[in-house]
Amino acid sequence: MARYIIRRLLAAIPVLLGLSLVLFAYIRLLPGDPCVAILGQHRTVETCAKLREHLGLDLPLWQQYVNYLTQTLSGDFGNSVINALPFTQEFLVRFPGTLELTIGALIFAIGAGIPLGRLAARRVGGWADGLITGISLFGVSIPVFVLGLALAVIFGVALGWLPTQGRIDAHFRFDSITGFLLIDTLLAGRPDYFVDVVRHLILPSVALGSIPLAIITRITRASVIEVANEDYVRTARAKGLAGKKVDQRHVMRNAWLPVTTVIGLQVGGLLGGAVLTETVFVWNGVGRWVVDAIQNHDYPIIQSTILVFAAFFLIVNLLVDIGYAFLNPRIRY
Amino acid sequence: MKHLRIGALLSAILVVAAACTGTPAKSSTTLVVALPGDIVRTDAMLTDDSNSSYVIQQVIEGLVGLAPGSTSEIVPVLATALPTVSKDGLTYTFKLREGVKFHDGTDFNADAVVYNYERFRTVPEGLQDYSYYIGAVFGGYGDSSNLESATAVDDYTVEIKLKAVSSNFTLTQTLPVFGIQSPTALALGLADNSEVDITKVTGAQGGAGAMVGTGPFIFDSWVVNDNVEIVRNDTYWNTAAIAKLEAVIFKPVAEETQRVNGLADGTYDLVQVIAPADVATIAANTGLQAIDRGSSFNIFCLQMNHTYAPVSNPMIREAIAYAIDKESLIETFYAGAADVAKNWMPMDVQYALDLELPTYDPAKAEELIAASGETDLTIDFWYPNDVTRPYMPDPKGLFEAISAQLEAVGFTVVAHDAPWRGGYLDDEYAGAYEMWLLGWTGDWAGPDNFLKTAFFGYVDGAPSTEFAYKNNKLEAAMNAALAATTDAQAQKLWEKAQNLIRADLPTVPIANSKPQAAASIDVKGFVGSAGLNEYLNLVYLDRAGN
Repeated sequence: MARYIIRRLLAAIPVLLGLSLVLFAYIRLLPGDPCVAILGQHRTVETCAKLREHLGLDLPLWQQYVNYLTQTLSGDFGNSVINALPFTQEFLVRFPGTLELTIGALIFAIGAGIPLGRLAARRVGGWADGLITGISLFGVSIPVFVLGLALAVIFGVALGWLPTQGRIDAHFRFDSITGFLLIDTLLAGRPDYFVDVVRHLILPSVALGSIPLAIITRITRASVIEVANEDYVRTARAKGLAGKKVDQRHVMRNAWLPVTTVIGLQVGGLLGGAVLTETVFVWNGVGRWVVDAIQNHDYPIIQSTILVFAAFFLIVNLLVDIGYAFLNPRIRY
Repeated sequence: MKHLRIGALLSAILVVAAACTGTPAKSSTTLVVALPGDIVRTDAMLTDDSNSSYVIQQVIEGLVGLAPGSTSEIVPVLATALPTVSKDGLTYTFKLREGVKFHDGTDFNADAVVYNYERFRTVPEGLQDYSYYIGAVFGGYGDSSNLESATAVDDYTVEIKLKAVSSNFTLTQTLPVFGIQSPTALALGLADNSEVDITKVTGAQGGAGAMVGTGPFIFDSWVVNDNVEIVRNDTYWNTAAIAKLEAVIFKPVAEETQRVNGLADGTYDLVQVIAPADVATIAANTGLQAIDRGSSFNIFCLQMNHTYAPVSNPMIREAIAYAIDKESLIETFYAGAADVAKNWMPMDVQYALDLELPTYDPAKAEELIAASGETDLTIDFWYPNDVTRPYMPDPKGLFEAISAQLEAVGFTVVAHDAPWRGGYLDDEYAGAYEMWLLGWTGDWAGPDNFLKTAFFGYVDGAPSTEFAYKNNKLEAAMNAALAATTDAQAQKLWEKAQNLIRADLPTVPIANSKPQAAASIDVKGFVGSAGLNEYLNLVYLDRAGN
């Protein structure tokens, strides 16, 4: 197992290196540069040239890449060219927000997706199956930002049920310590603030969780149907085991495998979806930050964020693969 | 099935419970303000953007400032009166207020003022990218700075000496960037010009020593891209103006729609600027108010570069001015919240004249075109395709309407567009466009800021590549006006400059827009100003029962 993990981690290095090169090239291909974002209406050809020189953007591209790479490898992820704040510090301020949102979306997607998938699989072709399959098709088809805006307009603006912007009511002047508001509000002994944080979390989680929900539902359904037709399930039923026991011990145990893979893959998708969701819900997370960075041509922030996301994605997938070994005794690394 | 039921039940309970708790009672002591963007730095000197200035002016005060609601009325703040100026126009003497303390307890006195002005004069090379206004107002740093010296005559008298006469000096000192900060805090925050790496200047980055002034609010915290919090200064020197609010939270919200939605659902109490399209929405909601700032502090123009025919021909430019129906543009695109431009600067700016610019008259335009002798009436016309600006709420719509008006009198418009940051601004500045849409938001209400800095001042002794507009007399008049030692002299020269520009009509001014603020109906005491010098210590929340 240890050897397998080390091998996988080593394999991640060329992936990340290649990604850093593609990223670097792609970002530099975007038209424009940070000068307008920084100097605004006061820029002149001279001040822009000076600024580029100051930021090292006048160097040949290969040299900029080498500088960037050596810097990153030494653990320095660079500073924002807009406000000069260090990446690592700013990333850590925002990451808890993204993580809370991602977890909220996952809870929604898994919590609703698996029961729905199982329900649909019980009577294949029945009305519940048709409805659930239809909803999940809708869930996969609708873009996150459209769903997000629709949810915000309906439940926030029109009905006034739920807040649609931010992570907590700013009027509370709540100072977060860890960045995880769900934890901090409870630690501070403010259950009322905790409820407010949950309320803020609902609509973004539903918006972000809609695609994974749809996928998890469909995979669960397909997987349960497949396993339910296996001989050993029929044998179990023939032995006279109770339906519930068959479901839990024989069907679901085996149906979990493909579902786990899909959940792992969805975590990466959630990080991507967070970019849109956070923008729609004015959520202070990494996603909204990187959108601002792209608009401002804030190269170090864009590069480092995507690189960290990619590393995160690779690690989550590794964890999923390791998780297999526990779910399926036949798999050994 | 049991899991399914429990899961469904739990999530249902959670959603219903959360939805039914309703919004908590609104705070009557904390104001949440939505700004169009985040602040950039926490050091007055090292900022040049309107969001930073908006927050900084609540915390840091200058020797002089602008009266609430005005863009040009100068009032003493940390000085007891406006400065006396020596006969040669080079020495300004400020008498200072006594008994004032900075938020960190440091005494405000002549030494503190000298420390700040010495800092303006000696901004190190590495930080000069971030101190635009210091360089723009004083013409440079060190030996090239127009600041000769700042000296303490006694504990509460400061003399500031300039190298060359600059008739806009007192007006420019009202800018928030010239606010006086605590010398102790500046040293603590490495903002004393000793550190040239901006990343290490904690005073500018929201860390130790950040934003320590004498104002009615004290800087509390800045979570980048999320919020800035300032709290009341209970020992403010101006006891009549101690803030009524306990705290103000500024939230950066880039999307106009989100700002208005957040105002409607109580997330924000005050939105600094709304889009003209949202004025009707606000008016229809009895819980909200739109706040008219009264005047305008910007100008929107149809810009032209004189190296291209036919716009190089003055008669053609005059014809274009007659062809454009400015009133209909204002009605359609600004929801009426704009004035027809009468000048290349808004009318509140010092010495601004009504230049009697051409009004809509297509017949007159056709006559002028016929008389101009130009036969090729094709114009390459550009607009930015990915932004709105306060003076230009809908670039594409404005472009289409103006194009149609130009074609109606016989021009052939070739439409072009480019991304704002990815070409448009660079190309128009380099002189690549024949005609394009662009404006200017004022920095200070002096004619130099519009006529010279924004538009027609020469660059390195020659007409700018941007407009290629050559008029040596105008350049000489503007420079002489800035060097005038008396107001009367400055006024005469600036009026001459305006008339010279009017005669050439180098570009066509269209509108002065008046971006509005919006607030919850219980926000009281807010005094709007077109220059955004708005002081939140005057604001209170009239919320019964709290």
